[in-house]
Amino acid sequence: MTVETAIRVENLGMVYPGGVRALEGVSLEVHAGEFLAVLGLSGSGKSTLLRCINRLIDPTEGRVWILGEEITGARGARLRGMRRQAAMIFQQFNLVKRHTVLTNVLSGALGRSPLLSSLLLSFPAEERQRAVAALDRVGLADRSTSRADALSGGQQQRVAIARALMQEPRLILADEPVASLDPALRHSVMRHIEALNRDEGMTVMCSLHDIDLVTRYATRMVALRDGRLVWEGVPAEFDKSTFKEIYGEDAQPASNTGF
Amino acid sequence: MGWKDDEKVRAAVWEKSLARLQATALDAVLLGVTLLMVEFLVQAFSGRRGPTGLLLSAEQILDLLHYAWAAVGGLVLALLWNLFYRQVGSSLGRAWVRGVPEWEAPLEWTQTLRGWFTAVFIELTFFSGWLITELDLFTFLTKFGKAADIVRGLMHPSGAVLHEGLILLVQTIFLAFMATAFAIPIAFVLAFPSARNLTRNTLTARIAYTVARTFMNFVRAVEPLVWALIFISWVGIGPFAGVLALWVHSVAALTKLYSEQIESIDTGPMEAIAATGASALQVLRYGVVPQVIPPFLSFTIYRWDINVRMSTIIGFVGGGGIGYILKPRVDLGEWGEVGTLVLLIAGTVWLMDVISAKIRERIV
Repeated sequence: MTVETAIRVENLGMVYPGGVRALEGVSLEVHAGEFLAVLGLSGSGKSTLLRCINRLIDPTEGRVWILGEEITGARGARLRGMRRQAAMIFQQFNLVKRHTVLTNVLSGALGRSPLLSSLLLSFPAEERQRAVAALDRVGLADRSTSRADALSGGQQQRVAIARALMQEPRLILADEPVASLDPALRHSVMRHIEALNRDEGMTVMCSLHDIDLVTRYATRMVALRDGRLVWEGVPAEFDKSTFKEIYGEDAQPASNTGF
Repeated sequence: MGWKDDEKVRAAVWEKSLARLQATALDAVLLGVTLLMVEFLVQAFSGRRGPTGLLLSAEQILDLLHYAWAAVGGLVLALLWNLFYRQVGSSLGRAWVRGVPEWEAPLEWTQTLRGWFTAVFIELTFFSGWLITELDLFTFLTKFGKAADIVRGLMHPSGAVLHEGLILLVQTIFLAFMATAFAIPIAFVLAFPSARNLTRNTLTARIAYTVARTFMNFVRAVEPLVWALIFISWVGIGPFAGVLALWVHSVAALTKLYSEQIESIDTGPMEAIAATGASALQVLRYGVVPQVIPPFLSFTIYRWDINVRMSTIIGFVGGGGIGYILKPRVDLGEWGEVGTLVLLIAGTVWLMDVISAKIRERIV
């Protein structure tokens, strides 16, 4: 395996304790520097796949490598070190609501911060400068002392992006980052993720269900259906028959998708 | 195909028989209790007299019931019902464990044996409950006279104990405060291993959960009054014993309240913090603690409030505070003085309730 492979997933399977099978035999590679979109209906296993990659969920079968190092089976400090390489962005933002915006961004640095002072919410001056710079990148430097839950949804997601930036990762895992946002605000958030990919050279793996966004931002795409990988290609190859394959015979593309 | 499918079939069979066992056990208990209640009512209405010639009391009847026979009878009936459930309809236990089957779903409760059984069971519970607790409406309505003395005394509080009462009231409030304050750090630490959602992943965590829960439930099961007696013989009569008794009980009670609060948090921030490569302690500090601090404060103030009320009873047995001077007045029937003390306590409790409501409103 070469360094060009950012993430490698081999024969990944996940059965939840209740017996629900979320993933089955998924194998894929994410190349360094690309923006890979993961498509599929809700319940098709997109979230589970992303969470198996940084081991927020332990897969029941298969193996995963991040930047050439196997994360499945890793424990303790080694696992945390690998997680630091892959920042995650969530559909529900998952900010600490009662903390300030700045503390939320600073929490991206927890992986490299001394334990005791971090437990007192105290960070070195240079980390604070970095956090302010990260907030500036997403256009929220003036809100650094607000409580996180005082911000709008779009702003909260931009804080989450600043937190990811603060982590100084080489990969971004984004789980439906704009699905909870007003359609008018989606591009403002997606553009920031695109900037991480283009300007910082971070590899992005992002689940999305809006075909418009996929064709606009992704360089390559994979599709899941019932926990299996059913399609792999570039946005240009995506057409009506692919759509049916991914979403089933009953599905209708929304009128503005151009299909 | 192969061993994996065999395994699945075996697991399914195992699950099915386990469900059947649970259903039958539940039915056996319900039917056994029903038999006992019926026997109790039959005995109560049979007019049997004891060796003294008086009608048997509720305890005497309870003593002579045939518990072993009821257990056997309940088990037999439960087995029969679960064996022939296709003919007579699902039993309560079966419906509880497996859900109501489709072919029964549209029936009204009056159309099923299960429905009738439930109705009879509830009726029986009330009838036997009435007799077991010896409820007596006639006495209640006709013999108020004696109690009127007490009520009259309470309405005419005497000023004789006002001074002493106020001083001990201050002691009571501080007693409750110290007990609560010392309980906070211990309960805070114990709450995390006592929360199910934080202790699922590793064996050590599961062991910590079991140990913390067992300890907490044991301490909580022992009444504060009993703790007071223990500490009075340890450190002697006085407010210190009261503080210790309420402290021990508050640790257990607060741990339970705190841990339930931890169990109901939003796991999203925990995931987000874990994903940054943070360690377990950092995940707790950033992903859990900020979410639980306001409810923790609110529970703690509520606990202080409860402790003020409890310290009265603790004082009865020698745990200091206002209860300590209340007890002799009750024994001597000095109802005017009792009235003064009761009013002082009621006023304090009311005031604390108002203040704690205000504080809680502000924090949450």
